[in-house]
Amino acid sequence: MSAHENEGKMILDVNNLHASVEGSPILKGLNLSVKPGEVHAIMGPNGSGKSTFANVLAGREDYTVDSGSVSYSGLDLLDLDPEERACEGIFLAFQYPVSIPGISNAYFLRSALNAVRRYREESEVDAVDFLQLVREKMKLVGMDEKLLQRSVNDGFSGGEKKRNEILQMAVLDPKLAILDETDSGLDIDALRIVAEGVNALRGGDRAFIVVTHYQRLLDYIVPDHVHVLSEGQIVRSGDKTLAHELEREGYSWLESGHAREKTQEAS
Amino acid sequence: MSTETVDPWHAMLSQQVADSAGAHSSLDQRRQSASEMFQQSGFPTRKHEEWRYTPLKSVAQGEYSALLPADGVLPGDDELATTSDIRIVLINGRFRDDLSDLTALPDEVSIRGLAGMLAENPDFVSESIDRLIPSDDHPFQNLADVFLCDGLVIEAQGKTDARIHIVHAQDGSTSSGSSHVSGLVRLSGGAKIEILEEFRSRGTTLANIRWGMEIGSGCEFSRQRVVRPGCDVLYHGTRVQVEGNAVFRDLIAGSGSRLVRNEIHAILSGPEGHVDLLGGYVSNGDEIVDHHTVIEHAVEDCTSREIYRGVLGGESRGAFTGMIHVHQDAQRTDAEQSNDAILLSRSAEMNTRPRLEIYADDVKCTHGATVGELDDESLFYLRSRGVGLEEARRMLVRAFTAEVFEDLENEALKEQFIEQLQEAMPAAGESKS
Repeated sequence: MSAHENEGKMILDVNNLHASVEGSPILKGLNLSVKPGEVHAIMGPNGSGKSTFANVLAGREDYTVDSGSVSYSGLDLLDLDPEERACEGIFLAFQYPVSIPGISNAYFLRSALNAVRRYREESEVDAVDFLQLVREKMKLVGMDEKLLQRSVNDGFSGGEKKRNEILQMAVLDPKLAILDETDSGLDIDALRIVAEGVNALRGGDRAFIVVTHYQRLLDYIVPDHVHVLSEGQIVRSGDKTLAHELEREGYSWLESGHAREKTQEAS
Repeated sequence: MSTETVDPWHAMLSQQVADSAGAHSSLDQRRQSASEMFQQSGFPTRKHEEWRYTPLKSVAQGEYSALLPADGVLPGDDELATTSDIRIVLINGRFRDDLSDLTALPDEVSIRGLAGMLAENPDFVSESIDRLIPSDDHPFQNLADVFLCDGLVIEAQGKTDARIHIVHAQDGSTSSGSSHVSGLVRLSGGAKIEILEEFRSRGTTLANIRWGMEIGSGCEFSRQRVVRPGCDVLYHGTRVQVEGNAVFRDLIAGSGSRLVRNEIHAILSGPEGHVDLLGGYVSNGDEIVDHHTVIEHAVEDCTSREIYRGVLGGESRGAFTGMIHVHQDAQRTDAEQSNDAILLSRSAEMNTRPRLEIYADDVKCTHGATVGELDDESLFYLRSRGVGLEEARRMLVRAFTAEVFEDLENEALKEQFIEQLQEAMPAAGESKS
């Protein structure tokens, strides 16, 4: 594919997406286009639908997509199972990574890597090659090798869990990485380490969607575009300066803005 | 229950009582009274509280009433990764000297076939059985009393740490039937014994195995039991007395058997004793797995831990009945019990009955039971990393049961147990690398 062709091509195209959970609508007509290599930040107050959006993209079944479309690398994303999405290159770094007692981190990672490689018709990696790869990636996120033999996220600190997410990302080499509130529960040192890991993975065609409530993560992971999500819609988009504006002014202007809309509707 | 259905058993019992009469007066007496109790009660129906979840109808109908032939062949299952150098084989309930290897037996340990002991010193056998396995109106105990003919006597005295592998094989390939084994264990003087007890079977067989044990002060008895796939009906009962500072550990792993009833009655009779009961199983089809345990804290300062975990698919049924009985004097008892099950099909069923009877006041007793499906969050987490649904389920099931085997030091054996359960998982999908 030539650079020119690539330029016009979207890796993700979300069109008028409506989604609900247990019957209550959360996303109410979301539109977003992401090109390869771009970093998009999605900000917004609690309850605006940020996490829902991230999880709908990854295919979590608790959410029902009511209407709209999502095209990913030319595929109908909503038609794919979560594992197919992962194999096609979508990666969600969880806000609350799940602990799985009884499965070692190494076994988990290798199973995931080999599942993805089988899907891509690549040969599976053996234990030796895997260890070499994972050690290299662990350095990237400053993770203790001992965590490989521990059960997945079991008894991990908040920072270790988030680093583990970034490690998985590094190993699985996605085309579109979605970070769901990766900064939540992290102190500034842990945040910096996680952000450095993410930055090391930036580049080429890999795109990112960084979902966050606070601007501080964006000091470390500098976005190309910033969007504000409110009541299930993107209400403003801009460049990284928008994040600073939000930091200064908070989200209260959204409420007054909506209050105005509502007043207008009523009249 | 109609008398008709138990008839083949009654005929067998009467015959056995008549044939063995005059051998030894107190054994005769016990045989006679067991026979009478069985003729009276037969096999319990599901109205019987202790047997509510274990239907014995098919056992009662007589297919199993004949004794298995004495000259069976050892079914050729893969060998387990045991570290034992002492191997005991019993086929169809008979101790097989020719297939056993006792050359590495330390001086402090003695292992004898029960048949030999019966011939040589019936008084000893009679006294030991009466003491270690008091007579009780229990269908399988009654049968074991009536058909008492062989088994094992294991004694260890003084510092030793022997590891023994016992294979109980049932060969029903030429004719169906049952075998009845009694095992007696006595440890004293700080002995440590580890036993890997394995059950194999071919054809229509009922293995009726019971153990009576005395774990003397400061002694340790550790047992791992594995029910290999293809076993038909297995009743396994253990009555164990644990003295001061002594430890009794048991672990049972199993899959692929039509009916398993595992009974353990442990009595902590000296201070600072410990009992550890663990179990992991996978069941399918119409299999039944029933763990039935009683732990008696008879004295102060003892601890016990109980963890059973099962994964049930198809129309299989699991039952767990766990009594913890803390006697009045058993102050500072620390007892922990948990029983968890995952149901993989709507027709599978798990019945859990924890029973706590606590008569002391300074006691820590915890119990927990869960029955559920696989955790959706964990499934989604795995799938979001590219692992297919079927493989994700298998990984989670493996993790769930593997936790039971965590403390097992023999890594190769642990892996075999985990693999066996993994392979028994219903709805086998794509293979893992």
